[in-house]
Amino acid sequence: MSLRRPRVLVSVVGFSLLAGCSAGSSSEESSSATAAPSSGGGGAQGPSNDPISIGLVAEPASLDFTKNDGAAIPQAELGNIYETLVKQDQDGKIVPGLATRWTVSPDRKTYTFDLPANATFSTGAKVTGADVAYSIDQVKTKWTIGLKAKMDPVSAVDATSPTQVKVTLSKPSNSWLFDMTTRVGAIFPKSGGDLANKPVGSGPYTFTRWNRGDSIVLTRNDKYWGQKPHFKTVTLKYFKDPTALNNALLSGTIDVVSTLQAPEALSQFPTSKYQVIEGTTNGEVVLSMNNSRAPFTDKRVRQAVRYAIDHKGLIDTCWAGKGQQIGSMVPPTDPWYEDLTKVTPYDQAKAKSLLQQAGKVGATVRLRLPNLPYATACGPVVKSMLEQVGLKVKIDTLEFPAAWLTTVFKNADYDMSIIAHVEPRDLPTVFGDPTYYTRYNNPQLEPLLAAADQGSETDQVTNMKKAARLLADDAAADFLFLLPNLMVADKGITGLPKNAITEGFDLAALGRS
Amino acid sequence: MRRRSGTLVIGGSLVAMVILAALVSFVWTPHDPGLVVPQDRLAGPSGKHWLGADKLGRDELSRLMVGARTTLLVGIVSVGVAALIGVPLGLVAAMTWRWLGEILMRVSDFVLAFPAVLLAIMLTAIYGSGVVIAMIAIGISTIPAFARVVRSGALQVMSTEYVVAARAAGRRPVGIGLRHVLPNVTSLIIVQASVSFAIAILAEAALSFLGLGAPPDVPSWGRMLQESQSLLQQAPRLAIVPGVAIALAVLGFNLLGDGLRDLLDPRLQQRRVEVQR
Repeated sequence: MSLRRPRVLVSVVGFSLLAGCSAGSSSEESSSATAAPSSGGGGAQGPSNDPISIGLVAEPASLDFTKNDGAAIPQAELGNIYETLVKQDQDGKIVPGLATRWTVSPDRKTYTFDLPANATFSTGAKVTGADVAYSIDQVKTKWTIGLKAKMDPVSAVDATSPTQVKVTLSKPSNSWLFDMTTRVGAIFPKSGGDLANKPVGSGPYTFTRWNRGDSIVLTRNDKYWGQKPHFKTVTLKYFKDPTALNNALLSGTIDVVSTLQAPEALSQFPTSKYQVIEGTTNGEVVLSMNNSRAPFTDKRVRQAVRYAIDHKGLIDTCWAGKGQQIGSMVPPTDPWYEDLTKVTPYDQAKAKSLLQQAGKVGATVRLRLPNLPYATACGPVVKSMLEQVGLKVKIDTLEFPAAWLTTVFKNADYDMSIIAHVEPRDLPTVFGDPTYYTRYNNPQLEPLLAAADQGSETDQVTNMKKAARLLADDAAADFLFLLPNLMVADKGITGLPKNAITEGFDLAALGRS
Repeated sequence: MRRRSGTLVIGGSLVAMVILAALVSFVWTPHDPGLVVPQDRLAGPSGKHWLGADKLGRDELSRLMVGARTTLLVGIVSVGVAALIGVPLGLVAAMTWRWLGEILMRVSDFVLAFPAVLLAIMLTAIYGSGVVIAMIAIGISTIPAFARVVRSGALQVMSTEYVVAARAAGRRPVGIGLRHVLPNVTSLIIVQASVSFAIAILAEAALSFLGLGAPPDVPSWGRMLQESQSLLQQAPRLAIVPGVAIALAVLGFNLLGDGLRDLLDPRLQQRRVEVQR
């Protein structure tokens, strides 16, 4: 429970940023074997003096993610300035990061991480076990953001040697290791420093300057212990207006558009000059149904909704055919993903008969949309499809974030809504807590989630698979589609992270062919 | 004389077209304006879809017709609100104490300084978006226009001999206002209403374009423009259709206003008589 509460907050912050973008990207850096299939693993090209400029959407409010929420800070820093002991690769697997390897004790409560002997911070100081212990301790004692609760399972940290650290948990937790790939796992030098203005880490890039309202400039860390990146300087340029962002690429001001805001905009980039990279994100666009309110207290009505929606038609119309169908709250990059889109395939007749059985033909439901592009575009499609099977749908829009958060998210004063949940591995958050806005209360789910968190990796996969299937079978919600990660870049740029599934935008793997 | 009535006829017929489209949409549209047909996405004009289909595969003509309803509704209600409040205010400002009139006019200057869109954004932030809020916001920001026109008209009427006579005869101000002043400023109100109507159409389109007006499932010309924005290169037709509709409706109401003013303004009538003599 202690883990879940803060995540509620986090996921809100997460998708508020999604209003602008689904920030985040890979933190994979040196092992080109797992680099995006569309790229050649740029880091392998070796260092050069070239600069690169990347267009992003949300500018950070501060450089200190220990005290400020928002996805833009780790997007710029994680994996670039700061490193984590373990990280997530492009396929969603947890792989070694700053730690060269790690072991888990048989009772799954003690993790031992080995550090490389040659790793240094950009100040020149060696990265030692003491720095790791300090960093974990800081999360528990000094961090102020809600995410710090992710470190709650840790009961003790011992730097057993300069190159080894032992972390003891109060109870087994698979999600803790995953969380170590996110910003809470960032390793800081124990000497401390001015995090908000001069971030110092062990990553392949160092912070150079921040032109507020415009850009952040990073320079290659030539003392980096791992494989050195190709580009000498990286400028992260921020654009509030998506049109300005796209124009900047067209005019050559930037080399990469990190996230395309509207899929329709793709048509303005001629394929002779630009490459389009289409990958996945963690952003499940959920058509939520208030499980505590009639008519959605009736499983048959919820199922009818799932049968009534032609997901392919929906993606084709309101998101220009970009995005992937998912049948449950799991993106394909999670190890427990399986195709659940066939659980309730598009079948208008079935939907009608289910509604008839439930006696809810002609029932009126209120679809309360946040005024976000994907929601206002897909809302009318959902309405039209539901009305074809005999439900009446009333749409109203609520200003996002303030009005939507209060009305739908906090007070659950809604029948249906559409929102993208962009937090990674957020199935337990969204459906495991009966007080969450979905109001989903199924006693069968809790034991599965607990077993998944505390068991071995295999147990985790088996149980999460069961949980995801349970949500689909029970029609806890409908999952419209997975937001695509649409990136446009100059043709020569390689190593771009295809899937935006991690918090950091990995710059080290970039190259130019 | 002939030239003037030309304005009136053109304006009147454009307005009549909008009204007709809205009325017909109650009984018949080529398709259900909300019906999403994925296969028809961005379909060009054809026998099935006379004006093509939008990005959700909805029939453009049906949406245009139903959108005329939203446009007219917003126009009627906002102009109604403005007239209902603005006209009495103008009369009061003209007929009561001088200082009260001055205060009312300064307040109306203040309201005039607030663009309708800004007011609507403010109201939306507080009460949520919707057609009703848009109508109220547009209405409120049009109040000063009515108050000013009515006041200046009423001031003129107040100095006429028959009003002076009525006052000398001891008629109460309310009676004078209703019997003598109001009928004489009616033509001004009608002209102002048709001009305000044009402004209201534009304001509604602007608000819906910004996502502050009609909800996504209610067809509205402004929203149709907004939805076509990202498709300008692929299907410019989707922006042209509602754009032309808005332009014609605004033009229609403006011409109608001009024509009515020429027809109803007593001074112009007088001049006409002089010319004829």
